[in-house]
Amino acid sequence: MLAPFRIHEPTTVRDASRLLLEHGDAAAIYAGGTELLLLMKDGLVHYPHLVNIKTIAGLDQVALQDENGSRTLTLGPLLTHRALARSATLREQAPLIAQVAERVANARVRAAGTLGGNLCFGEPHSDPATLLLAWDAVMELTSTDGSRRVPAISFFVGLLQTARQPHEVLTSVAVPLLPAHAGAAYEKFALHERPSVTVAAVVYLRDGAIEQARLAVGSVGPTPLRIGEAEEALAGDRPAESAFSHAAALAARTVSPVDDLYGSAEYKRHLVRVLAARALSAASEQAARRERA
Amino acid sequence: MSDMTGTSDPQVLLSGEPSGEPLEERPRLPITLTVNGRPVEAVIEPREMLLDVLRERLGLTGAKRSCDVQVCGACTVLLDGLPVSACCTLAYEARGREVLTIEGLACDGRLHPLQEAFIDCTALQCGFCTSGMILTAKSLLDETPHPNREQIRAALQGNLCRCTGYWNIIEAVEQAAQAEVQGG
Amino acid sequence: MDEQAALNVVGQNVRRVDARAKVTGEARFAGDLSVAGMLHGKVLRSPLPHARILSIDATQAEALPGVVAVLTGRDLSGRLYGHAIKDRPIVALDRVRFVGEPVAAVAAEDAATADAALALIAVEYDELPAATTLDAALAEDAPLLHKDTPLSAGLFHGLGEMKAQPGNICYHHSIVQGDAASIFEGAPSAPIVVEGEYTFPAIYQYAMEPHTVVAQWEGDGVTVWASCQHPFLVRAELADLFELPVSRVRVVVPYLGGGFGSKSYTKMEPLTVALARKAGRPVRIANSVGEAMVTTRRHNMRCRMRTAATADGQLLAREARLWMDTGAYADNGPRVVATAADAAPGPYRWQALAVDAWGVYTNTPPAGSYRAFGATHLQWIGESQVDEVARRAGIDRLEIRERNLLRPGEQVRPGGKPLDADLVGDVRKIAAHLDWHAPKPPDVGRGLGVGLLAAGAQPVSTALVRLEADGTATLLVSTTEVGQGARTVFSQIVAEELALPIECIRVPGGDTQVTPYDRSTGASRSTTLAGLAVQRAAREVRAQLLAIAADCFGLPPAAIALRDGAVWHEDESRSYPDLFKYHFGMVGGELIGRGEVRPERGKESYAAGPVFWEVCTGGAEIRVDRATGRIQVLKLVSVADVGKAINPHLVEAQEMGAVMQGLGNAIHEEMVFENGQILNPTLLDYHIPTIADLPDSFCSLLVENGDGPGPYGAKGVGEGALAGVPAAIVNALADLGIIVHELPLTPERIWRALQTEGD
Repeated sequence: MLAPFRIHEPTTVRDASRLLLEHGDAAAIYAGGTELLLLMKDGLVHYPHLVNIKTIAGLDQVALQDENGSRTLTLGPLLTHRALARSATLREQAPLIAQVAERVANARVRAAGTLGGNLCFGEPHSDPATLLLAWDAVMELTSTDGSRRVPAISFFVGLLQTARQPHEVLTSVAVPLLPAHAGAAYEKFALHERPSVTVAAVVYLRDGAIEQARLAVGSVGPTPLRIGEAEEALAGDRPAESAFSHAAALAARTVSPVDDLYGSAEYKRHLVRVLAARALSAASEQAARRERA
Repeated sequence: MSDMTGTSDPQVLLSGEPSGEPLEERPRLPITLTVNGRPVEAVIEPREMLLDVLRERLGLTGAKRSCDVQVCGACTVLLDGLPVSACCTLAYEARGREVLTIEGLACDGRLHPLQEAFIDCTALQCGFCTSGMILTAKSLLDETPHPNREQIRAALQGNLCRCTGYWNIIEAVEQAAQAEVQGG
Repeated sequence: MDEQAALNVVGQNVRRVDARAKVTGEARFAGDLSVAGMLHGKVLRSPLPHARILSIDATQAEALPGVVAVLTGRDLSGRLYGHAIKDRPIVALDRVRFVGEPVAAVAAEDAATADAALALIAVEYDELPAATTLDAALAEDAPLLHKDTPLSAGLFHGLGEMKAQPGNICYHHSIVQGDAASIFEGAPSAPIVVEGEYTFPAIYQYAMEPHTVVAQWEGDGVTVWASCQHPFLVRAELADLFELPVSRVRVVVPYLGGGFGSKSYTKMEPLTVALARKAGRPVRIANSVGEAMVTTRRHNMRCRMRTAATADGQLLAREARLWMDTGAYADNGPRVVATAADAAPGPYRWQALAVDAWGVYTNTPPAGSYRAFGATHLQWIGESQVDEVARRAGIDRLEIRERNLLRPGEQVRPGGKPLDADLVGDVRKIAAHLDWHAPKPPDVGRGLGVGLLAAGAQPVSTALVRLEADGTATLLVSTTEVGQGARTVFSQIVAEELALPIECIRVPGGDTQVTPYDRSTGASRSTTLAGLAVQRAAREVRAQLLAIAADCFGLPPAAIALRDGAVWHEDESRSYPDLFKYHFGMVGGELIGRGEVRPERGKESYAAGPVFWEVCTGGAEIRVDRATGRIQVLKLVSVADVGKAINPHLVEAQEMGAVMQGLGNAIHEEMVFENGQILNPTLLDYHIPTIADLPDSFCSLLVENGDGPGPYGAKGVGEGALAGVPAAIVNALADLGIIVHELPLTPERIWRALQTEGD
């Protein structure tokens, strides 16, 4: 049984931020609770004050925006994985994100767990974190001090740690829409409830060559990682299996997995290599298809 | 606390938060909710799980506690039509909402097509997973009246069964879907 | 009654009689029950694998408002319990021997308070060196777990004389036949020798309902509502522990949310009873999954085996040495070890055998029964060696079995029951279903395995049938409904014998105060033994009905038939209620029939048994993703060799469940320990097969040869497939050239095996 706590019900982000400031270490944001409550049930943490942000309106929308000619989807942090999976706009504009959301955990976790909660919790074995890192999403953090934007590449800081300050609330996730000549793919390997290895790839093709590639690997370290070395190696290369294989090998060398219940470090590196090659290949194929279409 | 080694772990005692405060210091909250179509008023502690309120306070013992970490699905109830793990859902979340438990599925003594199908197809043995399994299947059929096998498997992937080996459960859901189509 | 006469209800796919209660949520399990004044109990468990308890200070816990009692070793007499060996105290007395061992227990008004109180109990430990692995426990200078424990034989182990064993050895069992050593040493006559060392993991049974007990003292006795499979054995143990006559201990068993052996014998009952006694009020204790894992598990094992054969594939000799980690307390360990030893040879004709099996104490949670124990441990090993012999002899893997398998009537083990199943027929059916001789894609592996499991445990069962004046019947039998469908099968038997509709028969749950003695629910024995008692009880009522009817009609009983709830002679009939009126002179009275099953005089021991040999088979077709090592199971097939299927659907249902548990044991499941601590004590990190893990196709083939000792020629089923599946999958892997000597066959293990082959 959990130790006792109070639940606060702010109706604005500002009020939520104030409550978080007031109670400091003794408070936590409470959304879907699918990670937080598990941890609290274990007795590993306790928060006498839960700040329920589900009582704040407007944080569960999917909106399509045009900013300076580039189209962006903004995703509200309170969107559940289930809502993401079923969002017509998302399925049309960025279907992979919806597809990945549909495979998070199980149906019950998807019904309650939120995108924001998942990202801010910083659990290493996260599907959305890996995918949005490769997607170059931008996180908007709001507090009594105002709003700021943090790109995904700077958002995941450490084990269960993000760039979010304790009094900040993640208020939106901006996802740039991929142009017609880009494709994205996601691969995961799971033995237990949480995935052992997650890989996301985005590939842009231009005139038969890779204009740009982004590769993110998650679940094998404290945070998901962008594999810069692999991305550099791919830029300008022809989209062939050998290039993807080489990039995947670089990714396998870059990550620093440990031996644990999800596998030995050696095996995880191997899986990273296999999945990265598969994801890059699939993303590239999709880019080619979309370009032709 | 579900993990026994944590209970005697000295770090818990040193957290500064006495875990056994007297009754007066535990926050309380009145809530109203609808359970199986009926209004319910309860005064709960914010920390109480929906599963315990249903089982211990309302005597609705159909939902079971098994894994306690939202993996097995034995505690599944429908909250506004969607399946949730009652063992990891605060009762607070049910305020102003509708909860459906297995006890609320039959109508005036008439079993729901899923219940009939589970009986017909021997889709249960010990019965401990059955409430959660049936409710999850119901939420599938409510959204997808004609699911194919792949959709059934995807929907039920989060509901464990240790006895049946699942084949009969898939058949039961298919049979129930057909029965509903035929207005059964 | 002629056994061959047409059956009306037996053999039909009758709907489960408990299904409606279970689909509506009405069915009650132990955790759904509460009695007036009931307190919630929580258990404080040891964080260390081996330590002396220096002091326990519970004063703060006792002072917490809402706490009614705290139980520690000081409150107990110090009597020990244990099914095979009495080695275990109710809570730790002067020392703890495994992480998770109960040290104290709190009874409080609500669960939250009980939880909070646990954190207020201060225990001082003096840590001792721990032996948390087989190697550590077998080492010469190993810390000894039970050096000072006054061990004595448990009440009902059935293993003959229990001898004291050296060091941390808990039990030793050996089988010797002929001179195996000389065959292995005589190289020319045994040109094929297959050798290997194998590892089997600790596995968690995961019955979805964790152990739950409610105990209530009243007057001079105690009532226990418990999630237990064997109420009478629990009753005996409680009576012994608390020094009561058995009549003052009442064990009631509602529906069980799965057993699989995890609720065999005594588990949480003594602790709950002791806590209730101290509290002076009823108490309920419900294990969490993590607590269930440290209450019982499957034995992990190491085995060295070698098999000798002639150049053309005639099996000659087998040698096996195996060590089973039974944890800190024996529980059913010795029986598991003996059964494992029995399974090591496999069902073959050998010239010589040498099997040595040891149960070893370690500072880990106690291991006990789990479905198909012994057979699951050894069949994959023995069968993989038979396959290897076949490969080296250049003969087909089905053919080697056809040649060497025992036939019905042949000796399986000296002094024991001869083989009573057509194994060759069974294995041919598996092969046929796998299209054994058909060509297959090179990336598909095909394998099968066959074995035996000594089933039935001890054949002591009784049943009572009460036929009422309104033509309905109540069947009193103490078999636990664990999900197998016992209440349904028994209803069918009574319905058949008394020509009554199933709806007229009521089978309430086990209650030692009301339902008569049945030894246990497990070892696939219920249909065969309790079912036989049920049949005998029903037949006794039948005989009474015929006698009354004979008197009523003025005809010999042989001229009278039972049909549709009435007695008949040609076109004349009398309903049972009419017959009752005739017999009792009023609307009332009842007819009671009693059925008893007991062993033949002189054949009471396990060694003289088993009651029957349960057939363990499996067939598999698999593919392997060589990049990741992940196995894709294409096909699984099992054979249910049941003599007579009283309810074919329920037989098939048992098979399907056993197959998926076999799949779990083979591919997914492993309790991971470090220094005696379980690293994966929740389902987050312990993978139970889901609907997504189903093989592409599965089939259970029913074989009814009428060769069982149970009613209508029936014999038990439900465990065999669990042992057969790992053997089939290991052999399918070997068919692809992938050899693994360690279960479970995780993707990483397969991948490593592929690496060492230089693939």
